[in-house]
Amino acid sequence: MRDRLLLFIAALRDAGLEVSVGETLDAMRAVGAIGIETATFRETLATTLVKDEADRPAFDAVFERCFSLPERERGRGQRRRSVADGEGHGPGQAGTTPPRTPASTHRRDEPRPPASTRQQAKRDRHEEHLDRRGKLARDRALTRMPFREMSTADVEACEALLEILAARFRAHLSRRQRAARVGRLDLRRTLRRSIATGGVPMDPAVRHRRPGPPDLVALCDVSYSVAVASRFLLSLLAPAATFCRRVRLFAFVDQPVEVSLERGDLVPHEAIDWHARSDFGNVLTTFWERNAPLLTRSTILLILGDARNNRRPPRADILRRCHAAVRHVAWLNPDPLARWNTGDSVIAAYTPHCDAVLAATNLHELSAALRQTFRTL
Amino acid sequence: MTSSSELTPALVRQGLERARYLTTPRVETVLYLALALEKPLLIEGPAGAGKTEIGKVLAEILATELVRLQCYEGLDEAKALYEWNYQKQLLRIQADRAQELAWGEVSRHIFSHEYLLERPLLHAVTAPCKIVLLIDEIDKADEQFEAFLLEVLSEFQVSIPELGTVRARHRPAVVLTSNRARELSEALKRRCLYLYLDFPGLEIERDIIRLKIPELSERLRDQVARFVNGLRKLDLRKTPSIAETLDWARALRALQITELDASGIRQTLSLVLKHEEDLRRVDGKIGSLLASSAR
Repeated sequence: MRDRLLLFIAALRDAGLEVSVGETLDAMRAVGAIGIETATFRETLATTLVKDEADRPAFDAVFERCFSLPERERGRGQRRRSVADGEGHGPGQAGTTPPRTPASTHRRDEPRPPASTRQQAKRDRHEEHLDRRGKLARDRALTRMPFREMSTADVEACEALLEILAARFRAHLSRRQRAARVGRLDLRRTLRRSIATGGVPMDPAVRHRRPGPPDLVALCDVSYSVAVASRFLLSLLAPAATFCRRVRLFAFVDQPVEVSLERGDLVPHEAIDWHARSDFGNVLTTFWERNAPLLTRSTILLILGDARNNRRPPRADILRRCHAAVRHVAWLNPDPLARWNTGDSVIAAYTPHCDAVLAATNLHELSAALRQTFRTL
Repeated sequence: MTSSSELTPALVRQGLERARYLTTPRVETVLYLALALEKPLLIEGPAGAGKTEIGKVLAEILATELVRLQCYEGLDEAKALYEWNYQKQLLRIQADRAQELAWGEVSRHIFSHEYLLERPLLHAVTAPCKIVLLIDEIDKADEQFEAFLLEVLSEFQVSIPELGTVRARHRPAVVLTSNRARELSEALKRRCLYLYLDFPGLEIERDIIRLKIPELSERLRDQVARFVNGLRKLDLRKTPSIAETLDWARALRALQITELDASGIRQTLSLVLKHEEDLRRVDGKIGSLLASSAR
């Protein structure tokens, strides 16, 4: 049995689930505690090995493959029956997860063709489960899907997800701001200190206010290769607007152009030459010439781009000057880490002049990078 | 009190029945495992599916005390673990000074259990018997707090610099609930058993209504359960919880409605749906929902 469990866990890992050694041990102990009755066996393994409902469909599939060989007959029979009923099961279910083995009792002795209410109810519930689980799994897959592999349909599917992520980001910011607002007497530290002076609180300790709200300046590369990433970044930045004193958004290909976000759509204030070739050096120079006053000590400068400069001069010296002027420079790179500094990528030239260079190849990384950037708030 | 050695799945099932908590075999299995393996149990799922209730029920099964830690933004160690009672310490210092006690004596006085304010976590660790610790809505707490919690949950010991380490004599049964307001850390998830608690489905919800409001007619019970299940399939801002279903059923009874119809629903729907847009959205669909629930 132990070997079979280990094989099963290996199969789970192959299917992309992260299973730690500790969890493996938990699973073994759990099986030891409860025995291997079919009805509970699956749940026993699930509760110890699957820590996210989004992974459940994958788990179920692997479980079927590893443990239900003798039961295949039964599963097939049941599926045929449900087809004979000719209703209920939605599309997309056929190839994915076989029906969950119901809790044994009323299976064999149930009347078949007239779908009794019980059966119907069970099927309803089953479908509902699949729907919700399927949605969780899909959402997770989308946040982990590299931007460059996204189709137009995927980008559209991200809309709803972006709303959720933006809301989470907003909650994160408000939490931090609330924590920062505290600037009161810290009784505990005051008393600790007072011990040094024989119990007389000579030196009151105060929790200090953190520095005020930042200005946000975002420079987003909207050239073809990374347009999706920029579009998502701007949507996620929308909630940040209320937590910053000033927000200025710029899009660029070879020239920075100020943009605003209106109902999720990018509205450039001047025309953008979408077919130009990326030129980060020129963008930085022009931006510095025109908008240097925007860069103050309370500014967070956010740059999103792959730093693929088409072999033009990178002008990292300009970025150095920007860096000296502002509070924080963060560079988000939608290129996968392995491809940095390959070909015409000059991210290495810019790195010394950034406080953080973060990979943002998918939505998950992008929102994590944003959270990290605003940690300095 | 039940010790873990004599615990069996059947006992858990009976306990759940006695606590009048109806649920699926899946949940029974997981609850049994959490008790048998003495591991924390992390419960996720939609709001109102009965996550918090599990903690309470568990305390009832084990016939023990429930210690509840409600998480919120800005919750810190001082409010979750322990805090020194500074005011009292200050008084003590002044009283001692009047008696001209030596410093060593004073410090021994003021850093003793008498001046310690026990917060839920420390209380759970120092309890004389096995208790149930419910950490509610862990996703609302900050990430730093989660990291700190990890330490307590893995060792069940707390070190207080002035007093030394306090180790739990009985491992508390720990239940954590989360609404997925943010992703929990992998480390926390690894240390817990996991349960995704969904709405129980039509049949069980019907049984729950029967259990809690036995006076309701069978027909109305069936209609209410079906209608609410139909509502949950719609894309609403807030899906109705089980508690709300029960409230609604009680309201219908109080209004002496015996048959669910469109006008009766319109009158009372605000008990189930708490958002204006949800109400407006459902308003047009009452007919079709009713038709499917009359089946």
